[in-house]
Amino acid sequence: MQATPEMAITGFSSWEPGALSLGVFFFLAAGLVATILVLTVVITRRKPEGQKALPYECGIIPTGTARLRYPAPFWLVAVFFLLFDVEAVYVVSWAVSFTSLSWASWAQITFFIGVLLLGLFWVWRKGGLEWGMTPKR
Amino acid sequence: MGYDAEALTKAVEAAVLGDAEAVRMLPERASLGDVLVNWCQMNSLWPLFFGLSCCFIEQATVFTGVYDIARFGAEVLRGSPRQADLLVVSGTVFKKVAPMVTRIYEQMSRPKWVISMGSCANTGGMYDVYSVVQGVDQLIPVDVYITGCPPRPEALMYGLITLQDMIKRKNRPLKPVLGLSGGQLGGRDDILEVGVSKDRDTRGPGMQGIPVRGTSVTPPGFAGSRSEEMWTPPPPVLEFSARQTVLRKAIEERFGELATWREDPVDMPTVTVSADHVVDVLKWLKHESPVKYERFEDLTAVDESTRKVPVEHDFTLVYTLTSLSAVERLRLRVPLSGAEPEAPTATSVWACANWYEREVWDMFGIRFVGHPELRRLIMPRTWPGHPLRKSEPHRATEMAPYLEEDVLRMQPEDAGELLRRLHATSPTKREFVLNIGPHHYSTHGVVRFVLELHGEEIVDMASDIGFHHRGAEKIAEHQSWHQYIPYTDRLDYLSGVANNLTYLLAIEKLCDITVPARAQCVRVMLSEFFRLSNHLLWLGTMVQDLGMMTPVFHTFREREQVLDIIETITGARLHPAWLRIGGLAMDLPEGWDTMVRDFVSGFPKRVRSYHRLISGNPILRARIRGIGPITLEDAIDHGLTGPNLRACGKEWDLRKVTPYSGYEQYDFDIPTREDGDCLARYEVRFEEMLQSNRIISQCLEGMPSGRHISEDYRYCIPDKKDTLEDIESLIHHFINATRGPKVPAGEAYAVTESPRGEQGFYIVSDGGNMPYRLHMRSAGYPTVQALPLMTIGHLLPDFIAIIGSTDYIAPDLDR
Repeated sequence: MQATPEMAITGFSSWEPGALSLGVFFFLAAGLVATILVLTVVITRRKPEGQKALPYECGIIPTGTARLRYPAPFWLVAVFFLLFDVEAVYVVSWAVSFTSLSWASWAQITFFIGVLLLGLFWVWRKGGLEWGMTPKR
Repeated sequence: MGYDAEALTKAVEAAVLGDAEAVRMLPERASLGDVLVNWCQMNSLWPLFFGLSCCFIEQATVFTGVYDIARFGAEVLRGSPRQADLLVVSGTVFKKVAPMVTRIYEQMSRPKWVISMGSCANTGGMYDVYSVVQGVDQLIPVDVYITGCPPRPEALMYGLITLQDMIKRKNRPLKPVLGLSGGQLGGRDDILEVGVSKDRDTRGPGMQGIPVRGTSVTPPGFAGSRSEEMWTPPPPVLEFSARQTVLRKAIEERFGELATWREDPVDMPTVTVSADHVVDVLKWLKHESPVKYERFEDLTAVDESTRKVPVEHDFTLVYTLTSLSAVERLRLRVPLSGAEPEAPTATSVWACANWYEREVWDMFGIRFVGHPELRRLIMPRTWPGHPLRKSEPHRATEMAPYLEEDVLRMQPEDAGELLRRLHATSPTKREFVLNIGPHHYSTHGVVRFVLELHGEEIVDMASDIGFHHRGAEKIAEHQSWHQYIPYTDRLDYLSGVANNLTYLLAIEKLCDITVPARAQCVRVMLSEFFRLSNHLLWLGTMVQDLGMMTPVFHTFREREQVLDIIETITGARLHPAWLRIGGLAMDLPEGWDTMVRDFVSGFPKRVRSYHRLISGNPILRARIRGIGPITLEDAIDHGLTGPNLRACGKEWDLRKVTPYSGYEQYDFDIPTREDGDCLARYEVRFEEMLQSNRIISQCLEGMPSGRHISEDYRYCIPDKKDTLEDIESLIHHFINATRGPKVPAGEAYAVTESPRGEQGFYIVSDGGNMPYRLHMRSAGYPTVQALPLMTIGHLLPDFIAIIGSTDYIAPDLDR
């Protein structure tokens, strides 16, 4: 049988043993996690001791709060990562069905990646990927 | 399974005595659940990384391939107490670091166990001095004690097996695990109680009626010392060279009566200056004098109050300067008087005078007028008094016990406060203050760095040292000259015998002792072996800090080979204390040459494989090239020495420029680099290993025959077989091995090229059998002081690379 995307979808039947075992596996896994979580809460001895709850910082009492203001680069890089990460959804689904697709789809994905690359270069040029040290005076 | 024999006996005894509670004392029988839980716990111990001193090096050794602690049920070192159930306290617990030990213990989750490793952690060890806690069990409960100084790696594994056995026998964890009453889950809960199980007397409780040993040799009394009845020849007098005479004339012309040239120095020209003019003289010596002294080598003080021959002033400041251009040294003595003496600060002339002056203030209470931040550097902020004054107590057993109140009192300063004090105005970019250390993977030793970060960029930095202050200088004042040799081993715990050498060179200078050629050659060979041992450890740990996990296992393999040779020759691994005044403790053993030959022929191949494995790695190179650069001018001005200086392009190695111990006879090169960055420091050290190997092979080929100790037995411990033949040797042996030799009154400074830079010992004798004052100049001190120059403006991960590449070590920093 040829493994095509259509096969992958139609192959799933709620009455076939494959799906049943998946379901059993799911309940086992969820059950195990739930049991461990419950047991941890129930049997752990909580003994409040001196400085146990203090954040650990190399044995020293920490200074200030851990809720610091992150500098902009952290935020920018995170946003760009999310933006460019979405492309993976399209590129991977395209790659999975590569053999059954035409040249036209190849051209489409190339165009898509090209546009993304242009965007990346633009971000790069604008300094959005600048990280770390301020340039030396 | 079965009953706990000890508890059973206790219960039976109570029943015999008619105690109604006896039934309750019966131990519980281990159930299957107990056995299962115990089996899991004892075979998966998670030890916490808590390295204090020498013992930690042996602890680290058991994690490497040769010993592989994981086979014994203890897995990889944990970095944080949250992840650990076993705290191994390895080495000396200091009063300043004790708050961290207790906090980390409290932050561990239960069940938790504690192993106290090494005699220092057990009882304070040989360090009965003001700054040392007499055993970690004074603060936290200990399950297993491992003895030795330091214990061999095998001893730690035996301790682990003992702990596993204890878990198996004593723990009844099922009930506590299920939240029921009864049972026993991990570790002891009791701690020593003052007056009951704990006493400041190191001999333990119940000895109050008997005087503490050694009180009769406590300064300033030295009651009953017979050294005063002995005669010794006067110390040798330095013959001034032509250049020194020129300098003398220039000083006389410029300063006249204000600076008096001393006629009879032992080791270097010495000038006495009054406090009012010292800064002018220093400025002149740095910029205008015919011999320009570019480097501020050392500053220390002497409390003159208990001299055998009284002097007119109370304190003397001693400045040591070095001229790199003329290869000269100069000492300035500044007499001071009064209970709170004052001197002007030299920080305007040399920025690195900052820490030296702070240390003198901390230790002696001498105030420096105009100093930017004159506050304690080494002792805890709340420490009363100035410990190196003769009037202060020196033995911890003379002081009140260190208790939990003291833990609260001696908390380290808040990081933000530390930075604020460093700068009068607060910087604008202040965003995040991060402590690295005192207890951290990447700080090489217990030392604390406070970084102020903008994102990942370091915008400001402060260092806090003194977590490893063992009061070694105070200890010297009540040990005979020979007795002090083992302490020098531990001052830089990776350099062992190389430390002995510096100390002994100073004594030998003062006593004018000629060391036989064979002894000198063995000294050189052992020093080079310790250089290899140090550099191999440095190489492994530095690249591990940078994320390469494999090399450390390999470098420890060669290091074990080096230590095997050292052990065959001296009988010990890290701290042989094997050199003696005038020579060595004994001659080389049979078969030493075969071992050394095997090593020397194979080592270059190993270094080549390191080259392929590490030096060529593009990621490593990218992470260290151009990182943490320091210019040659800055390096000299801040007193950097050794490989750190040579990485800036200065070909300055004391083994070449002022050879000692016969180094002039060996053919070797001095590797240098120009850039002064981490890569340059890395490459200089890397190449030094091959040069050390060359020196060792020359020692092997050209080992002279003859005596291993000087023929003049006045100051030496004579060869045992001579003592069996003539009465003179026997008398010298008796005297020098018991109360020790009398060293002529005077002062001397000796400095050698130790593995991490220039290490100096300044000794003052007032004609007794113990040093009147001893000071150590360490290589790491100026390096750590200069760290802000190298780190500010770099990223947080670069900081780890920089501290790895500078190769400082805490005990030599704090002494």
